[in-house]
Amino acid sequence: MIVVAGLSHRTAPIEVRERVALAKQDLPALLAELTAEPAIAEAMIISTCNRVEVVAAGPLPVSDFTQVRQDVTNFLVRRAPLVERHLYAHAGADAVRHLFRVAASLDSLVVGESQILGQLKEGFEHAREAGTLGPILHRTVPRAIRAAKRVRTETSIGAGQVSVPSVAADLAKQIFGRLESKTVLLVGSGEMAEAVANLLCQSGARLIVLGRSADKVAALARAVRGEPRTWDALQASLNEADVVITSTSSAEPVIRRGMLDAARRFRRGRSSFLIDLAVPRDVEPSAGDLEDVFLYNIDDFSRLVAESLHNRHREAERAELIVEAEAASFERRSETEQVTPTILALRRRFAAAMKEELDRSLRSKLKHLGTEDRAAIEKMLEAAQNKLLHAPSVHLREATSDGARVEQLVAALSDLFELDSDWEADTEHESRRLAGDTSRSTMRPVTGTDSR
Amino acid sequence: MQDLVNIAFYLGVIAYSAATTLFFLDLARRERSTAVSVWAPRVLGAGALVHALHVVSASLLSRICPVESLHFALSLTALITAGVFLAVRRRSRVHAMGAFVAPLSLTFLVAAQFISYQQPTREIPRALLAVHVTANLSGVGLFLLAGAAGAFYLIQERRLKAKRLGALGGKMPALDSLDRTEHRLLLAGFPLLTLGIVTGAAFASQLTQASSAEWLRALLSYTTWLLVAAVLVLRALAGWRGRRAAYGTIAGAVCVLLVIVIYAVRPTVGAGL
Repeated sequence: MIVVAGLSHRTAPIEVRERVALAKQDLPALLAELTAEPAIAEAMIISTCNRVEVVAAGPLPVSDFTQVRQDVTNFLVRRAPLVERHLYAHAGADAVRHLFRVAASLDSLVVGESQILGQLKEGFEHAREAGTLGPILHRTVPRAIRAAKRVRTETSIGAGQVSVPSVAADLAKQIFGRLESKTVLLVGSGEMAEAVANLLCQSGARLIVLGRSADKVAALARAVRGEPRTWDALQASLNEADVVITSTSSAEPVIRRGMLDAARRFRRGRSSFLIDLAVPRDVEPSAGDLEDVFLYNIDDFSRLVAESLHNRHREAERAELIVEAEAASFERRSETEQVTPTILALRRRFAAAMKEELDRSLRSKLKHLGTEDRAAIEKMLEAAQNKLLHAPSVHLREATSDGARVEQLVAALSDLFELDSDWEADTEHESRRLAGDTSRSTMRPVTGTDSR
Repeated sequence: MQDLVNIAFYLGVIAYSAATTLFFLDLARRERSTAVSVWAPRVLGAGALVHALHVVSASLLSRICPVESLHFALSLTALITAGVFLAVRRRSRVHAMGAFVAPLSLTFLVAAQFISYQQPTREIPRALLAVHVTANLSGVGLFLLAGAAGAFYLIQERRLKAKRLGALGGKMPALDSLDRTEHRLLLAGFPLLTLGIVTGAAFASQLTQASSAEWLRALLSYTTWLLVAAVLVLRALAGWRGRRAAYGTIAGAVCVLLVIVIYAVRPTVGAGL
């Protein structure tokens, strides 16, 4: 099983997170540093502006969770000595659930945002390139990605926009479709108004900046790469603009209904979208009744953002159930798969021993036997082997629900039958197989023939 | 051959039903599902293909040219509507209109089964009849689509005005796209309808003893033509677009639908064309 340790927006303020932030180019070295620890066999790093997490696993078949957790924590503390109190660490089933929740964007600052899934995949890819993935992470991370995709498909957790600029840009697209040939008029200044203007301009719109102070307008126009205009060009600019963003400190509306009516006639039925972010309002409210004029004020945007957030949180409850079901299903499979290499190694060891003895006998005392007799003896030995291994296999699988007990049994079998070398060969083969196909979330199915 | 006709018909019904479901699902889901968005037009396209196969095989079986029978005329209108929608869907970004086109195609395909293969009984030059019917069918298909674009425009405009974006989210086509699509469809359909009207005038003399239903049908056809002409002229001269153009276009599409209803409920009307 895995360990997930790190810090996020939930446990650390930005001043702390920025101290731990890991650069992409440093990841190979950092991953190598992590896996250099004897207790850590596999590792990957998720590094975003809101979280830095290490996902690690110890060597199979039995690993020391406590040591893995300690090593990962030490690694993070070495990066930024004062972060220890902001760190969290999950192990085993808790770590799996945490990873699944992170992938599904349930642990994100903005629940339902989609970037985290890409960042998780990126982290996985970096680890693969660095050669620090093994059978456990190859099995766990794709399952987390699958769970996240299921959440996206079966819920509306990512629907709607959750910031004023993104809602405004979304509305502009619902009115105009493409914004490439559209003109945006920014009246006044303000952080949010500039953010909206920038977002619209990123979609290809042309920007006009208009204000009462020529100096301020010139400076703002330079900053946002817009065309500066003076206040007396307001009506002409309204006639021209498809989107008008207003954010002045005027106590009275600066854009009257009559001005918009004149602009509407000039525009011959082309739609105008007015984004009034000022308090008190800059646009006379009755202007919203005009045909082809769509007027939204700051309260409208706040309500739309709140609706989206409310919907996302409602969907998050459904998403939690999906994540829980996926994590539980993954654990059940993992528990069974945990003992599969040991069972296979045991069978291989028995089969090898019997084949060796049979070959020796067939070369000496039993060399007079014909083909049919030889086949009958082989069959008999195989049946005996199956019978002999049936009970240990069943007991091992039954013990998977008890982590400590299964570890004891696996360790005992490994010691008693010297399975380590066989087991390693099996794991290596499994890793090679999985490395070729990261979309596969499971290891080889349990193919033991002990039930025969 | 009869088996092929039946199989193609039932496959068409199944595909159009499935496409209808998928387009509505796509609209109803809060978040766009890639699979549904991708498969809805594909299934509609498959429906249109088997629909075309049905028309061809049925016309071969009945030995009637599709443009000389009202049965096929209704069926072909649906086919043209679906075909034009699939052709303009991506470019005009009006994917959501499939929620209108798919059920319309389904309804017309099924409704055509209730109209006999009866051909015109009057002496009309076959070439003229073919031009008349083909131009009218294409025009009707385009006007129905334009009417759908107008209806979607009004829905989208109302949502944006009321600031209640609800579950449709960003899945409705943009207002500008709908307005532009509606205008282009009218521009494409108007010459065809004009050709239909002009060629139809050749039969007008035969209407002297026609039934009231035939008179009503002719009246509705001329009304449609006038409405569409008014929408286009007012848009060019007075800048009537958006809501006003949508109302005019929808009125034209309703007239077209009424003509189709008259054909469907009074099949003998079609016999005289």
